[in-house]
Amino acid sequence: MTQQNVHRHDRRFGYAMIAPAVAIILFIGLFPLIWTLLVSVQNISLIDEDTSFQGLLNYQRLMSDTRFWEALGHTLLFTAVALPLELILGLALALLFLEELPGRPVFVALLVLPTVISPIVAGAAWRLLFDNRFGPINQVISWVAGEPVTILWLNDPNFVYAAILIAEVWQWTPFMFLLLFASLTNVDPSLGEAARIDGAGFWRTLWSITLPVIRPVIVIALLIRGLDLFRIFDVIWALTKGGPGTRTETISIYAYVQGFQQFETSYTAAMAFVIIVILTILVMAALKRVEIAR
Amino acid sequence: MMQRRRFLEATTMAGALAALARPSLAAESAAKKAVEAAKQYAGTEISIVWEAGLQALDPLNFSGPLWEKETGIKVKVVEVPTSEMFTKILQEHRAGTGAYDALNVIPAWMPDLVRAGALEQLDEYVDKYGYRDELQDIAPVYRDNQMTVDGKIYGLPDDGDVFIMYYRTDVLGDPKIQEAFKAKHGYDLPVPPKTWKEFDEVGALITEVTGGKPYGAAFIRDPAQGQFMFQERFRNEGGIFFDAETMKAQVNSPAGVKVFSDWVAENKWMPPGIENFGFVENLAAFLQGDTAMTLSWPPYGRWAAGYGTDEAALNWVPKSTVAGKVGYAVSPGGHPELASGFALSISASSANKDAAYLFIQWLNSRDISIQRVQLPFALRDPFREGHFTSEEYKSRWPEAPQYLAALQEAANTGILDLSILQTDRYEEAIRQGISRLWSGEDPQAILDDVAAQWDATTERVGVDKQKAAYADWASKPNAYPPKA
Repeated sequence: MTQQNVHRHDRRFGYAMIAPAVAIILFIGLFPLIWTLLVSVQNISLIDEDTSFQGLLNYQRLMSDTRFWEALGHTLLFTAVALPLELILGLALALLFLEELPGRPVFVALLVLPTVISPIVAGAAWRLLFDNRFGPINQVISWVAGEPVTILWLNDPNFVYAAILIAEVWQWTPFMFLLLFASLTNVDPSLGEAARIDGAGFWRTLWSITLPVIRPVIVIALLIRGLDLFRIFDVIWALTKGGPGTRTETISIYAYVQGFQQFETSYTAAMAFVIIVILTILVMAALKRVEIAR
Repeated sequence: MMQRRRFLEATTMAGALAALARPSLAAESAAKKAVEAAKQYAGTEISIVWEAGLQALDPLNFSGPLWEKETGIKVKVVEVPTSEMFTKILQEHRAGTGAYDALNVIPAWMPDLVRAGALEQLDEYVDKYGYRDELQDIAPVYRDNQMTVDGKIYGLPDDGDVFIMYYRTDVLGDPKIQEAFKAKHGYDLPVPPKTWKEFDEVGALITEVTGGKPYGAAFIRDPAQGQFMFQERFRNEGGIFFDAETMKAQVNSPAGVKVFSDWVAENKWMPPGIENFGFVENLAAFLQGDTAMTLSWPPYGRWAAGYGTDEAALNWVPKSTVAGKVGYAVSPGGHPELASGFALSISASSANKDAAYLFIQWLNSRDISIQRVQLPFALRDPFREGHFTSEEYKSRWPEAPQYLAALQEAANTGILDLSILQTDRYEEAIRQGISRLWSGEDPQAILDDVAAQWDATTERVGVDKQKAAYADWASKPNAYPPKA
């Protein structure tokens, strides 16, 4: 057997060994995608018997569906506000807990508590807190104001975004904290000490030494939370169901309404496919940044 | 508490058994016929989809065990939240699993479910098991409107849901309030108010005089249930949902704008945060004496009187502080909404259609239904003529005769929920509209959007198809208030 034949044989053997794994990955990853695509070009709904081929009609409808674009806008708005807030607060907490504080393990455990609660439960709890009649938030504001205050947190367009963001940031900042805290504890302390000897203050050290070192973790944390925020559903569903009207309706809520309340299976599939495309582009861009950073 | 519960269970059980055992009636009663025919299926199990929560306590605690004892057929109760019932029924039908035998169906869904082929046509079963005569006892408003699609029976109307007005007789009868009312409006305070103008004037004045202890009234303003209130009031103000020729939505007509504008004005003299009042908040406010008038479903009247509220299942209901001080009347405008309701149907994919049908015939029958509508925890409301006139029911609490009379009058004059193809899309547009109303948007602008959404839905469904469905619905005697 020549050297070339041995090499060819090894390659074939290698392909044969990875073939089952590749097949499974393709089946798990690609089949739903292809199926979604197929459904999106038909006219399937739970109510109608007609399931005929529609071509790109659902996509055409989606492009002119103002509610879809508004929902996308709301989603991006939530992401744009909540993500930096969670990052800044998470980083601040991580830096705080780097110091040896009394009772640190207890505080860390308490801090992580919101993350382990189901988002729908967290939303329901915040709904009670924001209740305009019996909620403690209005009561505290009333005490401070010295007169009864009835803020309709979940109805008033001036307050509803703040209410949702408070609940969201409360629940997920600890997640950001955990990742960043773990990353910061691995930063070589001598780097900071060297910077301080050279006269760098806290902010300078943070900006020029610490953050660049933990940048890959920050990007991953932002990616994970960014994706989560793009799919945000539970907490908003529990708080407002997308209301008042559709003012806080996100892309996931709109997809749920179309798919499971209006039974527009094919239209929802088209929506899902567009969302997948958008998310894929975003994730690839983010991963590219991680690669550059490395 | 337990003693009362045991007593209630014992009396209902004994009543049902006694009714079945009476020789003269037994030969004819639909309940007896169902039991006899069902015995051949002894040892089998049937499933029934039932609204989760209190409603399901009827088959779980009362009718299911009794049916099993009578026939040997076990009943599996599949509890589903109301908001998911339509989806689950359709999904199961599409999957064809045969997981559901009998169904609870909101009558407004029937055209969609029939069109999807999910419901079994029942005419043949009704004749086969001799139920047609007893169907005639069902109050006409339910029998003639909530039983058929295109003239064929698909459901047995089983729940007399209707809004009625509850008012505090002591507050409206207070001489101080009556004097203030006459001084301000120049006529005697109407007890109860018969028009929305009267209602608003009485409610606003009570709040003004009492300083909100109690408030003049409160309503369910939550969009999910408030949309029923909109449907009622819109038609009482003369509104028509569609132009019957073009199928263009008319929901943004002056009648619709008036309803929305009136709601916003009313909120000013109602409790703070009224915009978020749902069924429970409104109930609590009335039972605790915080409000003098309200409109809602029939259980309010029973619980306000304290009937059955010592049941463990009802321990979440606030103790009534207004028992003995509540009057019952038809809603202002005279044509209350037959909001929601339930009919009993058979799944087209059931493998036990006969056994399931016999169960729902038995449940719905004259003998058994009278027991079921008196279960304080199960939310089934009177729907047969005999329920309204039952001496046993009238003796349940001192004001029960007036309560039943109000329900009967409301049933006679009630108007139907809109029920066309893909009704939920139209209702969803109203729900969103109400939600926007509470965020301070302009009523006309909101309703113009709602009308645009309705038109878009009609286009998608198909104007001609929807026109035919609307014509079928609008031809029913209780679709709209009779023209003066």
